[in-house]
Amino acid sequence: MPKTDDLVGVPGVEAQGGVAVAGVGALRRRRLSRPVAAAFALGAAAVVLTVTGVQWLDEPAVAAWRTVCLAITVQALPFLLLGTVLSGAINAFVPADLFTRALPRHPVLAVPVAGVAGAVLPGCECASVPVAHSLIRRGVTPAAAFAFLLSAPAINPVVLTATAVAFPNSPAMVAARLLASLATAAVMGWLWLWLGKDEWLRAGVRHTGHRHGHSRWSEFRLGFQHDFLHAGGFLVLGAMAAATFNVMVPRSVLDTFSGSPWLSVLFLAALAVLLAVCSEADAFVAASLTGFSPTARLAFLVVGPMVDLKLIALQAGTFGRAFAWRFSGATTVVAVLSSVLIGGALL
Amino acid sequence: MKRHAQVLLLVLTGVGLLHIALFTDLYLRYVKEGLRPLLIASGVLLTLLGLAAAVLDRRADAHARHTHGHDHATAPRVAWLLFLPALSLLVYAPPALGAYTAAHSGTKAVRQQKRFDPLPATSPVPLTLTDFTTRVQQDRTLSVRNRTVQLTGFASPAGQGGGWYLTRIIFTCCAADSQTVKVRVYGTEVPAPNTWLRVTGTWHARGTLGTRSAEAALDARALRPMAQPVNAFTDDLPLTPS
Repeated sequence: MPKTDDLVGVPGVEAQGGVAVAGVGALRRRRLSRPVAAAFALGAAAVVLTVTGVQWLDEPAVAAWRTVCLAITVQALPFLLLGTVLSGAINAFVPADLFTRALPRHPVLAVPVAGVAGAVLPGCECASVPVAHSLIRRGVTPAAAFAFLLSAPAINPVVLTATAVAFPNSPAMVAARLLASLATAAVMGWLWLWLGKDEWLRAGVRHTGHRHGHSRWSEFRLGFQHDFLHAGGFLVLGAMAAATFNVMVPRSVLDTFSGSPWLSVLFLAALAVLLAVCSEADAFVAASLTGFSPTARLAFLVVGPMVDLKLIALQAGTFGRAFAWRFSGATTVVAVLSSVLIGGALL
Repeated sequence: MKRHAQVLLLVLTGVGLLHIALFTDLYLRYVKEGLRPLLIASGVLLTLLGLAAAVLDRRADAHARHTHGHDHATAPRVAWLLFLPALSLLVYAPPALGAYTAAHSGTKAVRQQKRFDPLPATSPVPLTLTDFTTRVQQDRTLSVRNRTVQLTGFASPAGQGGGWYLTRIIFTCCAADSQTVKVRVYGTEVPAPNTWLRVTGTWHARGTLGTRSAEAALDARALRPMAQPVNAFTDDLPLTPS
């Protein structure tokens, strides 16, 4: 069937994209031109596929992995675009001192204000990373930008409405989610003021604001293109990791952890990190985890929008790896503590 | 990543999104129906961006080459990864989730429901898998007793206990948060996994109807194969492709 072979030859190219990247990097050091390197990588990919065949791509597990991975990417792309458009617009069109004037001058006060301001960005977590980045480039103190980054995906009206729909009999869950997310965002902002070091952030090597020689529009377009391609690559990386866990860990395993109250909180927090469910959908997933205590489910809802595999990848790409690990680790701890405290009081 | 590769990547991603959301219904395999306008808008935006980059940056590229080394014309290498979903969307879209996923997930818990409307008098009564399960396990008026119902879903293996599962996979947002609803079917041969079927039958009497002890199961009278409905990943009554 020559036709099928044609069809399946193409994803081979695609599946070896990572190899192509590595190959290009290695070859450039030996001063080979890029077209030669790319041709080499494509040839290698073709050979690998001819030898192994493409049947494995259609194994049920591999096919499910591809579906979930693509679904996460497709679901996140519009929101990532929204975030990069906003961040590009902030860079090119918003005067530099607007945010610094709008926020309280003292950083300790700016943190909770920025956290509450997160409510105005409707969307899921992918949009908030580029926006927070552009806020920092515009002179907002990083602590306040991080409070915004953490609170925006969790407390915006879309997400809170979804939570209310998913938990029709417990309005306290919505309040607890709002409070615990705000508290975590504020505490993380203050923690950054206290312990954070600017050298953990990758130096802002890129365009900041309007420069001479380009029109504002072309500045906007180029910044947008760069940010999108950059964040998009990391999104795919995160989607691959999340899809791996999604397919490998069957949901039925979850119920074995639901007995112990402490373990179940930690377990659902870890699950939120690994599954990387969009913050607009996570309430429905939490509602389906019926065996677990309300506090454990609250931890799932608070941790999920702030830390997950796809977000860690996005943050590592945007702010640097040194930052992403420390920040995600600390956020997880703070989010679990605040869900336990607030969940214990309200639920 | 050089400028030409960036242009290609932007256009491929944009066209890929348009392909699944505008020209075909493939997007329904991955995300909810409501995301369609956003996907189309994203596809248009990315395609336009790619075309703009192809046309407008030609001069800037030549200019940058002999003035300074660093400029916007290069994107980070991680962006190459975006070729995977872009090409996958265009030429090798992965299949919808099916029996494999269903077999590896538990059954979605049905919601508590107090009031049940009386079933319409038609026979067989079309019901969703969730509605059937809820009525079997919670309806004190025993509305499904002695009624012939018609359920739709795809077949997935049941393991022990005999029979097989009529299954629906439900998305809340995308395939990553899928939940599974299953009703066990007795009394027929086990169909091949992933075949879509319309099953008519009556409640398989095990446990006490209207309580949690009742099993969500069906004694099948007839199986009819059907095309995969357009809205395969909701638990609604099927809309068949016209």
